Amino acid sequence: MHMANELLSVPVAAGTLGIAAGALGIICKKAKEYITSDKLALMGILGAFIFAAQMVNFQLPGMPGTSGHLVGAVLLAIILGPHLAAIVMSSIVIVQCLIFQDGGLLALGCNIINMALVPSYLGYGIYKTITIGKISRRRLYFGGLLACIISIEAGATLVPIQAFISGVLVVPLKTFLLTMVGVHLLVGIIEGLITVAVLGYLQQVRPDIVSEKLSGKVRLSKKAVLITLGAFTIITAGGLSLVASGFPDGLEWSYAQRPDQPDFKPVISNEDPRITAVDEFQSKYTPMPDYSGRDSKMGKPAKPVGTAGWTSFAGVVGSILTMCLIWLLAKLLRKNKKIHTQ
Amino acid sequence: MHHAYLDKFAYQDSPVHRLDSRVKFISLVVFTIAVLSLPRTSVSILACYAIGPFAVLAVGGIPLRFALKQIMLVSPFIAVLALSCPLYDKTAASAYFGPCAFEISQGWLRCFAILGKFVVTMLALIALVSTTPFSDLLVGLQKLGTPKLLVIQLGLLYRYIFVLIDKVQHMLRARASRKLRNLGYRQELRIASSMVGSILVRSIDTAENINIAMQGRGFDGKWRSLNKLQMHSTDWLFAAIVCCFLLILEFFIKPILI
Repeated sequence: MHMANELLSVPVAAGTLGIAAGALGIICKKAKEYITSDKLALMGILGAFIFAAQMVNFQLPGMPGTSGHLVGAVLLAIILGPHLAAIVMSSIVIVQCLIFQDGGLLALGCNIINMALVPSYLGYGIYKTITIGKISRRRLYFGGLLACIISIEAGATLVPIQAFISGVLVVPLKTFLLTMVGVHLLVGIIEGLITVAVLGYLQQVRPDIVSEKLSGKVRLSKKAVLITLGAFTIITAGGLSLVASGFPDGLEWSYAQRPDQPDFKPVISNEDPRITAVDEFQSKYTPMPDYSGRDSKMGKPAKPVGTAGWTSFAGVVGSILTMCLIWLLAKLLRKNKKIHTQ
Repeated sequence: MHHAYLDKFAYQDSPVHRLDSRVKFISLVVFTIAVLSLPRTSVSILACYAIGPFAVLAVGGIPLRFALKQIMLVSPFIAVLALSCPLYDKTAASAYFGPCAFEISQGWLRCFAILGKFVVTMLALIALVSTTPFSDLLVGLQKLGTPKLLVIQLGLLYRYIFVLIDKVQHMLRARASRKLRNLGYRQELRIASSMVGSILVRSIDTAENINIAMQGRGFDGKWRSLNKLQMHSTDWLFAAIVCCFLLILEFFIKPILI
């Protein structure tokens, strides 16, 4: 669920980057009070551990040929506490972007929110509310499973919402949302199972890790847990209502624009009534009222065929020629240098 | 996996490699914003924007095949989303390219625009990452105001990713050579989770050892680099070239093509 740059508009990307950077700044500042230099190595290595653990795959039941693996945010939050887990997960997302090129640079804000901040805090909050007090085996398993499923679902639902607010995709929000939720339900269950199994293993081998005695762990107080959960509920409710009210807004907007363009008529290529109905539905819910055939040169029927085609052709060919020139120049430069050094 | 397998080209030497990492990073951000704010229906202008990252790759001596392979590796998610556009936007549109005219739907135009932007911005990202060693990038990021804690975290993470991935690959090979058939998912899950658990225990132990070693060498929680970042004349030149490139595209090429 790594977002790419292209799914976001610049304002949304900037906004989410701002939120993520601000949150990380606050967390780092807060964590600095607890963290002595000896915790730094532990955090760095646990980050690398998550990368490594993501490579251990196992066969899924009922689906030959597919395999699941760990994502790790909740496990990390349980082991390290939410603040440190958020920092470690964010650093993982940044490295995935910069070294593995997974997810775009401007989408980093969204990715950090979806995959680091939300799962760490939400997962920890849920796990903590269930296992509060004495840790029994059943509570541990149930809490871990539920925390994984819910926190992964929460991250996954944010993806279509962010893409919808940006308005780049024409895929209806509902379809996208349902697909993401469906797919990530599966991912969440797998994540939950393996997290719980790892917790079980750790309880046998190193009970100190699970029972919060590991040095470097920063615990949240009961009050803080409740506040986190409350804040998430409010944000989720607020976000959902925003999206809900986004539908009529888009509709109004698209109607409001039409009087300016008296000649605007929706082009319907197929007269089949079912397709017409789908197209109408589409034109109502397209999140970008500003987007239509009129604006584009590529598909501009008004412009004479010749010029529109040839300018774009010239643009592409010119670019390719420039690239060839640059490539040759670079090659020559390098050759010259080799001769010099020899 | 060999250390620095993915960013093996970052340790070469070329005029681009020697540039200040801050200049490159800021140029990348500006360039990405410029590409993303292009109108969604203009496909041909993306070719002009691709000149920039291409030039950096060419001067830096990074094979284009490597860059394209990287892009292919990370593209599935966006490819699925882009290819679903034609299913939902069937408004007819005509596209012209040279002597040819096509009748396609707006969804396809949008799909091509999304994929094109993806390729161009990814090329730019690869151009940055494969011309800048990660430690230099971190120093630059720290100078640009990233919290110190996060910078140290990123540095340690980068240092140990490949070490732990190596360990896991040994374990995976051991599992593959002992487990010759599918054992049913309960057993599989148990094996996988005890593998993950044992890596976790091992990495926590390693962390303690590393911590002792670092303390022994006087580590006090500060990230130091021998690379003292300084803006040379070549850095200013690069910044000026990037500015000119983007301004020319914005004010001269864009009005013609859009």
